[in-house]
Amino acid sequence: MKALWIAATNLRRMFRVRTNYFFVFVFPMALILVLGATFGGSSTPRLGVVAQRSGPLGAALVRQLERTPHLRVVPVADPAALLTQVQRGSLAAGLVIPARYDAAIRAGQGVTIRYMARPDQSSQQLGETVRGAVAQQAALLGAARFAVTERSASSFSAALAAAARVSPAVPSVAVTETTAGTALFSRTLGQFDQGAWTELLLFLFLISLTGAVALIETRRLGLSRRMLATPTSPGTVIAGETLGRVLIAVIQAVVIILGSALLFGVNWGQPAGVAAVVILFALVGAGAGILLGTLFRTEQQAVGVSLLLGLGLGALGGCMVPLEVFSPTMKQVAHLTPQAWANDAFTQLVGHHAAITAILPQLGILAAYAAVLLALATWRLRRVLVA
Amino acid sequence: MAGERMLECRGLRRSFGDLVAVDGVGFHIDPGEAYGLLGPNAAGKTTTISMIAGLLEPDDGEVVVAGQPMTTHARRAKDAIGYVPQDLAIYPDLSARENLVFFARLYGMPTAEAKRRSQEVLELTGLADRAGDQTKKYSGGMKRRLNIGIGLLHRPKLLILDEPTAGVDPQSRNAILESVESLSGAGMAVLYTTHYMEEAERLCDRVGIIDHGKLIAEGTRKELVSLVGERDHVRMLATGELARAAAALAARPWVHEASTPGEGIDLVVDDARGNLPAILSDAAAAGAAIKSVEVTEPDLEAVFLHLTGRALRD
Amino acid sequence: MRAAVLICLKDLRARLRDRSALLLGIVVPLGLAFIFNSIFSGISGNSKVISLGVVSLDRGAVAQQFTGQVLGAVGKSGLIAVHREHTVAGARALVARGTLNAVIVIPADFSARVQANRPASMQVIGNVDAPISAGIARSIAERYASDLNRIRLSVATVVHGRSQGTPSPGTIRALAARAAAAAAPVAVSDVSAKSKELDQKSFFAAGMAVFFLFFTVQFGVTSLLEERNDGTLARLLAAPISRASILGGKLLTSFLLGVISMTVLVVATSLLFGASWGNPAGVAVLVVAAVLAAMGIMALIATLARNAEQAANWQAVVAVVLGLLGGTFFPVSQAPGILSRLTLVAPQAWFLRGLGDLRGGDLSAVWVPALAMLGIAVVVGGIAMTRLRHMAEV
Repeated sequence: MKALWIAATNLRRMFRVRTNYFFVFVFPMALILVLGATFGGSSTPRLGVVAQRSGPLGAALVRQLERTPHLRVVPVADPAALLTQVQRGSLAAGLVIPARYDAAIRAGQGVTIRYMARPDQSSQQLGETVRGAVAQQAALLGAARFAVTERSASSFSAALAAAARVSPAVPSVAVTETTAGTALFSRTLGQFDQGAWTELLLFLFLISLTGAVALIETRRLGLSRRMLATPTSPGTVIAGETLGRVLIAVIQAVVIILGSALLFGVNWGQPAGVAAVVILFALVGAGAGILLGTLFRTEQQAVGVSLLLGLGLGALGGCMVPLEVFSPTMKQVAHLTPQAWANDAFTQLVGHHAAITAILPQLGILAAYAAVLLALATWRLRRVLVA
Repeated sequence: MAGERMLECRGLRRSFGDLVAVDGVGFHIDPGEAYGLLGPNAAGKTTTISMIAGLLEPDDGEVVVAGQPMTTHARRAKDAIGYVPQDLAIYPDLSARENLVFFARLYGMPTAEAKRRSQEVLELTGLADRAGDQTKKYSGGMKRRLNIGIGLLHRPKLLILDEPTAGVDPQSRNAILESVESLSGAGMAVLYTTHYMEEAERLCDRVGIIDHGKLIAEGTRKELVSLVGERDHVRMLATGELARAAAALAARPWVHEASTPGEGIDLVVDDARGNLPAILSDAAAAGAAIKSVEVTEPDLEAVFLHLTGRALRD
Repeated sequence: MRAAVLICLKDLRARLRDRSALLLGIVVPLGLAFIFNSIFSGISGNSKVISLGVVSLDRGAVAQQFTGQVLGAVGKSGLIAVHREHTVAGARALVARGTLNAVIVIPADFSARVQANRPASMQVIGNVDAPISAGIARSIAERYASDLNRIRLSVATVVHGRSQGTPSPGTIRALAARAAAAAAPVAVSDVSAKSKELDQKSFFAAGMAVFFLFFTVQFGVTSLLEERNDGTLARLLAAPISRASILGGKLLTSFLLGVISMTVLVVATSLLFGASWGNPAGVAVLVVAAVLAAMGIMALIATLARNAEQAANWQAVVAVVLGLLGGTFFPVSQAPGILSRLTLVAPQAWFLRGLGDLRGGDLSAVWVPALAMLGIAVVVGGIAMTRLRHMAEV
């Protein structure tokens, strides 16, 4: 009961500072939005296309490119802007379809379209995709041109119309695509899903670590001593401080989960599983935060170290770049962090629609982290309180 | 229960590494008594108080509060104590009322009672009209009053104040002393630590003098002063026939010592105030021209000097 | 002037002593850049050769033309490594394991079907987690298939146009040969665009450095609020020195802290993990401009706050938002439309763009980003200065 009051005071103090609302709720949500909008869903390469005044055939080529899988077409106004954007990396590559493209082809002239790529390989490799799309359109154009050369049509336009008419009846040479291997990335993830859970984990841990700052302040002001002078046992004080940090994390998680689900339509997976991961992860964070608070003397030191640890472990645990793309060695190192296990659990819950029973191993490891960190934190806190 | 002591501590001992902070301290406080623990900085006052308030386990010895043994886990003993730490242990970002209600709950009061009692303390400390403001916006004096108020919430039998006037302006200091006087007058036992002699003299029924972790003397002011002898010192700055004047004065029965250290005459006398006219006329008659007179009655400062050979504040 | 220098030296000494400037200005950004770099160096973002397998079950001419000429040309670019595999099952296993990104399978009757003008197909098996590489493999196969389709369609269109009944197989073979020889109407030429992207190491180093710069410079201006709180401002104002020199001292502190921490970070990241920042003169111009812009923004916020604590809270919010917008953690410039234009509000975005442009161009490339940052410094800092005068009052 007294522990609840100590926890409630923790909460009250946290949310009395208005900027904390920003760091606890608003900023993580903004990140989910920005990440989703920027990289969301898949990392489809973006091809900038300049097709000003290229005529109906130019437009047809653009449509052909738009139909090409694994490619996103971004219209760009002029070649200079295209070059800059490709150079700065905001576009994977660029394509310039010349003005009068349509007219030149109809006049029987050869047309050259320019493919702009940076020296890096992914930019260059995309050239194959562009050439494939151009070849598909060129099948029709080539046939029409051939008909004109063979004098079986009066004009290019008539030949093009004839080729288009004949085309469906011609048996085609096709390419089929299948996949092999077990998907690391779920294909059912929504645009904001992965960003949402990784940011949630990143910020839950970061905010929990800053609990160290509050704890150091409580000690510095002599408030812990005062609490211990009341008929309140050190165990109750420790339980109260821990509960306070866990509650803050849980409230943060609830707001972010509900907010992102309502605002961005994020899918979070089975509620029981999500609740289990969040609560265990909040316990891990609370343990880490309190432990940190007993190891440092000043609030400034604690802020610096919690930023370093929170962001560093977050990155290592797959909260910035998904674990799936880590090298095998790095993946092993990553699984020293609780974030990696929580990320794995969410991948199962959200990506593979797993139930809580499927993530029991991850939950077990998170529980072990929580138990060890909380035990260490309690031991240290008891020492610094009852010194 | 007649004869039950409010506080009894025996043979308290505590060291931090090689440093022996408290070395065999023992004293008691009776109900309604105000006890001053007097000593210079780092004498062991705060360590002693921490063990009495159950914040620190003694290496040796025991503390009994209102018949209950005190440990860091003792509930009943802690219930009897109101602890006012030297630091301003209040939440800066909570209001005075929130601070009070929080600690009232930690003293085990139900919510309604915690609120009622907080209001009473707010009125008692004169903070009622700013009760809703965050305490970081308070003046130093208001924070001090709240700091003491928190210690009074659960109507403790023994109030422990650890240097409550350290670094406080004279006006706030006087207000604090007055409130302690009235609490003590109302029958609350008080344990008060200070390194200000005049506070101990003014407030406390009995005083313990602590130095280097040891309680070196204890008793009422009168008892302690008798250690240095209840004789007054008179120091006169004078010119002229100093030796003759000293000899004349030495002949008086109530003069115990008379000396001429350079520019004046020093006397050790009984009842300096009553005998001052006679001293002055004797000196003048012997041909000494007196410029100034300083009378010193023995006080705790002198006691401390006598016991340790050092001044309290140096 | 002397007074300003004295105040600045006093502040610098205090900052070094409480270690918070050292921690936030140098240790934390360096540590994070190091962590990010070591984590992500195992992840090859933009440089990966695609491993493409090919299984040809067909010994016919059409299949051989594909595996020989088409894939031969593809392999020569060095971007795609072509490996011949013998069985579909074996190749599929390699794809599943990720050893091959994709495999193109040519069925046994492919040449025969193509020559008989019957429907034919090639199959692409892509690794499930390498959709882009699979797409590229598919495009390569499709390009060849499209060429075959062009020949078929050319013949069909001509035959249809002549409408003289069914032509003899010999005529068709002749037509097909002429169609195959015809030049493609559209050619694709390559234009190489010099990269203005920072490599990974340099990106993390520069991103973290400029992100924490905003925290480092705040120590100078905000200390005015602290001095007012501690009462030492009154003492300074009572001394025979001008208000301008008090402000000057504070600004000088900010500037020096910013420049020193950035310099240490540039040198340390270059030496410790090989970040390449580019031409030192250009980097110096960008650093100074970024420090001034950061000072302007942080000073303005300090003047809007009521006390040091509030100032620190607001400054943290602004520094974090601008850091995110400015792409210090990940490149927001790839974001769609408005968002990517919004990034230019942040001096951090200009700083990173300046470093990128410096890498892709010559020294003159830094002027636009530097002027943009100085513009922010002048406008925002100007507003802050008019307000700062009031702050130097008790």
